[in-house]
Amino acid sequence: MIRPLAGMARVGLRFQLAYRSDVIMTVLALIAQVFLLRMVWTSVYGGAGQARGLTLEALLAYLSLANLQAFATTPIIPLIAHFRIRTGMVFFDLSRPTGYLPQMAAFQAGHTLGGLLMLAPAVPVVLLVGTITPTAQPLGYAATLTLGYVISVMMSLLICVIGFWTLETGAISLLYRLISQFFAGTMVPLSFFPGALGVLAEALPFKYMGYVPAAIYVGHLSGGQVVQAMIVEVSWIAGLAVLLWAVWRRAHRRVVINGG
Amino acid sequence: MIRVESLTKVFRRPRTFPGPLGALRTLVTRRYDERVAVDDVSFEIPEGEVVGYLGPNGAGKSTTVKMLTGILTPTSGLVEVGGRVPWRDRSANARSVGVVFGQRSQLWWDLPLIESLRLVGALYDVPAAHFTGSLRRMCDLLGLDDFLDTPVRQLSLGQRMRGDLAAAMLYDPPILYLDEPTVGLDVLAKQAVREFIVDTNRAGRTTVVLTTHDLADVEALCRRIILIDKGRVLYDGGIDALVTAYAPPRRLVVHLADDETRTFDIAGGASVPELIGRVAAENTIRDLSIEEPDLESVIKQIYAESTR
Ligand SMILES: Nc1ncnc2c1ncn2[C@@H]1O[C@H](COP(=O)(O)OP(=O)(O)OP(=O)(O)O)[C@@H](O)[C@H]1O
Ligand SMILES: [Mg+2]
Repeated sequence: MIRPLAGMARVGLRFQLAYRSDVIMTVLALIAQVFLLRMVWTSVYGGAGQARGLTLEALLAYLSLANLQAFATTPIIPLIAHFRIRTGMVFFDLSRPTGYLPQMAAFQAGHTLGGLLMLAPAVPVVLLVGTITPTAQPLGYAATLTLGYVISVMMSLLICVIGFWTLETGAISLLYRLISQFFAGTMVPLSFFPGALGVLAEALPFKYMGYVPAAIYVGHLSGGQVVQAMIVEVSWIAGLAVLLWAVWRRAHRRVVINGG
Repeated sequence: MIRVESLTKVFRRPRTFPGPLGALRTLVTRRYDERVAVDDVSFEIPEGEVVGYLGPNGAGKSTTVKMLTGILTPTSGLVEVGGRVPWRDRSANARSVGVVFGQRSQLWWDLPLIESLRLVGALYDVPAAHFTGSLRRMCDLLGLDDFLDTPVRQLSLGQRMRGDLAAAMLYDPPILYLDEPTVGLDVLAKQAVREFIVDTNRAGRTTVVLTTHDLADVEALCRRIILIDKGRVLYDGGIDALVTAYAPPRRLVVHLADDETRTFDIAGGASVPELIGRVAAENTIRDLSIEEPDLESVIKQIYAESTR
């Protein structure tokens, strides 16, 4: 079981490295985004000391981190799956002794690792622009971020599987990307979301990919809130696992392979 | 090895509607268009045989192959490969079959060929020593050494096809499904692919189901063919028997002095010298030849009859 997955992860990594120029663009976009957000939010704060319990310093650090996380963990597999289903190449993924979903998850893990390797040079710049200082809660940060990443991969696996019904996930995955980034709080921290939007954002799992770990890092969430976040994350993972299993069983039976 | 009984596949897709709102209607419709791709097909293939699975475009060949691999679930009927039902036992079945689709590739487009081959080694958990040996053999048989480190997107069609053949055979599956493995290849590349098939079949008693539109492939590789059209089996048996049974008569073609060409059917049992004598008595013959019926003319005739 390990070797097939390691092999798939290796291909995911190599795939990411093959698109080096994309990553350079991504890094530039990331730095630009952090820079712009910094300008906007500095002006919004004016002279105010803090808003909703966040100082400007903490907010800027939060935004830089949340964007760094979002860029590093944006899933690629919905795009890959979409292409392979459309062209019928998914035939080969399905004809392996290893399951389709584990293959895709391993590919994603390798791809993310490759992204991290290439993002590494940008990290000091982002930390500097975001004036990020070491965190008081490194364990809580690492744990919630890791669990958040698992949730993110499971959600994108769900989108891959939906492709077996619709045979078309291009628009869906674009929409997903938009929604997930917004509700992850990469532009605006969740504590600033008004009324119903705030409730919705709190209820959705996207915050675990951005807001929650970043807020823990800057000390906006702490102590019992960290533990609670981790418990909810684990529940999401369990729920998504059941959902994925059920949806995949049905998708499996209706597979058609395009082209002959 | 492979047993297929009354295998049927009906594709059901939501009816498509014309017009600007057609796509929307298609999304919500409960009306379906049905297409019978494979219709009550039965055959058996013993271990070690190389069988040509032939038929005109859209006959249902690729659909059959997809069901034999277990990826597509049959609408009805039975498939058994090595004692297993492929679509119920996909993982175990996966280890025992290799597949090549000429029209699409299992190789990762953006990565060097060797990466895709390594991935196959990992996915099928081929032990390292075995993998090295297997890869060596593939490289020798298919001449991969020159482009192992080239990204697949930079390979020519023939090179890519050789890469795909290697990927399908690296883990020594006892069964090989080849769906148009020679499509678009030049004469030499076709020859290389044929030799590879002969070699794997001989060396490992690999069972091969070969789909192709190139009858020279069939003549070089298969003694038995299964002919299908519109999802139904038209013929299943030896090539020789087919040619004998369906053969159009041999024909005498004579070129006359005044640049005229005439052809005469040679009826079964008729004496050829006698016929030539008769023709020569009435005309001045410049040249003559006898056309033997071949597989192509036979199959052309069968396709034509089935369309009627
Ligand atoms: N996914 C699908 N949905 C609906 N109909 C399909 C699908 N795939 C194939 N068909 C139909 O099933 C029939 C058989 O197709 P198949 O691909 O098996 O033909 P084939 O014998 O491989 O032809 P070719 O020689 O052209 O490759 C065709 O009429 C085709 O239109
Ligand atoms: Mg076909």
